[in-house]
Amino acid sequence: MNFQIEPCNQETLVVKIEKALDFRNAAEFKTLCQDQVRSGAKNFILDFSDTGILDSTGLGSIFSLYRQVSPLNGQVVFAAVSRPVQVVVQLTRTYKVFRQFPSVDAAREALV
Amino acid sequence: MNLGTHRFSDLGTVIDRVHALFSGWEEFALSGAEVDVQALCRVKLAAHEWLANLVQHATFDARCPEISLQLRIEGDRIDCTIEDNSDGFDLEEQLMQRNGLIEPYPERGMGLLMLNACTDELDYQPVDDNKNRLTFTITVNKDPWLEIPFHT
Repeated sequence: MNFQIEPCNQETLVVKIEKALDFRNAAEFKTLCQDQVRSGAKNFILDFSDTGILDSTGLGSIFSLYRQVSPLNGQVVFAAVSRPVQVVVQLTRTYKVFRQFPSVDAAREALV
Repeated sequence: MNLGTHRFSDLGTVIDRVHALFSGWEEFALSGAEVDVQALCRVKLAAHEWLANLVQHATFDARCPEISLQLRIEGDRIDCTIEDNSDGFDLEEQLMQRNGLIEPYPERGMGLLMLNACTDELDYQPVDDNKNRLTFTITVNKDPWLEIPFHT
């Protein structure tokens, strides 16, 4: 199990990304998020506090989630971004799309 | 500073083993060594993207995979060499084909572009002993970026 889900309310949840979101588990992440969107979730807080790698395929799966929730006025935000993930955010300038928060609690306060 | 040559033959574990190496080097850097941690993270990302490409797409035929990774830190630059015994491919052509074709919020096809964007002097060529060699350099204090269209 690479991801843990913690609901905040019916529309908002925290997804804890463990060591990696990469080509090996991106499909699992995508399916998991699709299921959550079908169940009514539209705001996703991605907790990257322990993440050692976010690669291009992992980022692609987050873009896929963004495409699903943005027509629902939903959001995808990044929380507690680790140094390796920050390198990808900076390289791809995805901070323009995904708001970042220093902690999961800060993200939860902003979204719930 | 030469961080040694590390050899791998199992495509199923190479990514985790390389990550473990980088974790050790990051700890070393954070302990006060004259190594830029941010630059080291970029090297890890570049190496990961390349290895992911090898694991997913390379053809080794009946050969047992042989992959080696070498890192060398010289002042404000980190040089990385990754050799493999796959059939290889024309990296420059692949990059040319992908350039400018990136769609908004892309799900696939960003790996080689990210590798190219975050490195200097990227090169992949056949060498002796039926091997191919990827070489790239990461320069400290640079802020490279890959342009992804964020509109539909």
